[in-house]
Amino acid sequence: MLSALVVSLKVVGVATLAIAVLGTLLALLLARARFPGRTVLELLLTLPLVLPPTVVGFFLLYVLGRGSPVRDWLGLDLLFTWQGAAVAASAVGLPLMLQSARAAIAAVDPVLEDAARTLGRSEPEVLLRVTLPLAHRGILAGLFLGSARALGEFGATLMVAGNIPGRTRTLPMVVYDAALNGDLALAAQTSLLLSGIAFLALFLTRRLEQPRHR
Amino acid sequence: MRVLPALLVALALVACGGGERAAPDASPRSETTLLVSAAANLADVLPPLLDAFQERTGIRVHVNYGNTAQLAAQIERGAPADLFLAADRRHVESLANKGLVLPETVRVYARGKLVLWARADSGLALTSLAELASSRVGRIAIANPDQAPYGAAARQALQRLGLWDALQPKIVIAENIQQAFQYARSGNADVAFTALSLVVGESGKRLEVPPELYDPIDQALAVVKGTRREAEARRLADFLVGPEAAAVWQRYGYDLPALASR
Repeated sequence: MLSALVVSLKVVGVATLAIAVLGTLLALLLARARFPGRTVLELLLTLPLVLPPTVVGFFLLYVLGRGSPVRDWLGLDLLFTWQGAAVAASAVGLPLMLQSARAAIAAVDPVLEDAARTLGRSEPEVLLRVTLPLAHRGILAGLFLGSARALGEFGATLMVAGNIPGRTRTLPMVVYDAALNGDLALAAQTSLLLSGIAFLALFLTRRLEQPRHR
Repeated sequence: MRVLPALLVALALVACGGGERAAPDASPRSETTLLVSAAANLADVLPPLLDAFQERTGIRVHVNYGNTAQLAAQIERGAPADLFLAADRRHVESLANKGLVLPETVRVYARGKLVLWARADSGLALTSLAELASSRVGRIAIANPDQAPYGAAARQALQRLGLWDALQPKIVIAENIQQAFQYARSGNADVAFTALSLVVGESGKRLEVPPELYDPIDQALAVVKGTRREAEARRLADFLVGPEAAAVWQRYGYDLPALASR
């Protein structure tokens, strides 16, 4: 279980960074920009939230595998690596981040941004000094939820990264294998650990969403 | 509130750094470490075999356990496995037809045995499959007969005995043989059709289903085409079908096709 914990932490660490950066940029794009296909893009990015993880994994096998640009042009061979698992975890965590961050950014009053502009601030300054700080609760709440979901990822990860002990076996896979093999004690311990982390993430999300109830 | 921008910049920096670090990490294997994609039913028997192989050759082996169809799909998309140990022949032969594994390396390495298993306290005699029709048997767990080889074998055996249709109301379908076995072990089913290899170390009652009632459950292997470790993968394949491995396969409840046909 210890080696699986290490793999899980690496996967969630990278996935959290990816969700934070990509999620914030995409949320800004979806909340502020008007362009053709915006709704389609938003729906496509939200799909992993409702699709069975095996379907996400199946798509990712094609996106990352033989014949894909990622592998053949960029030379990134991510199948059967923990980095591949991080891609799968990011894909399923991102929609949760987007939902929350997009709503938070859309709720920032444009009058405040315009005020900053009339005071001579550049667009990047408006973004970093006004928009993101005002939306930070929603963004962080989305990030916690997305990371928690990334930690619990199982189906897509199994397809893309496999279940290789010490290399790509994550905590959810330990639970699955232990339950199948009748090692109920290990399954219970690992499940409790995962539940504890998930509870903490939800608790933090809740506090961010309801600041007055501290 | 200046924390968030700073945090995001920091995250972005670490993310870039992480990306650069990822490249050398992507293939942490040395040339003498093999990666085997193996059917999940081998989880017990493979570790002792691989330990013996490493002792003899110095070649380390990592294993990716999974469901045979999923492992085959991964190999089709170019997953870097060196050797494929399937739970059946069909998926290996299909990969060979597509030119994804080396056709001359396709071999049957083990033959599974179907058993009927019940808890020691079940009160069943388990001397004949006909007992399944008795009222003492409530639920019968089998692996999905459309996907799992042992599930298909169980259905075939019951069909040949003319019991399949009559037993339908009692049959519960599990995703695979491990799950079917867990249904019976936990008492949620009265009996389970499963693999002998799964129950060799277990207490409880078991009845080996007569082999003439079902087609052989042959498990085939093949070396994946294009691996940089083809020589080592071939060595492992030879080892797994060789005399030293034979005793281990038998101890774990498998028949060997070479012995069975003699």
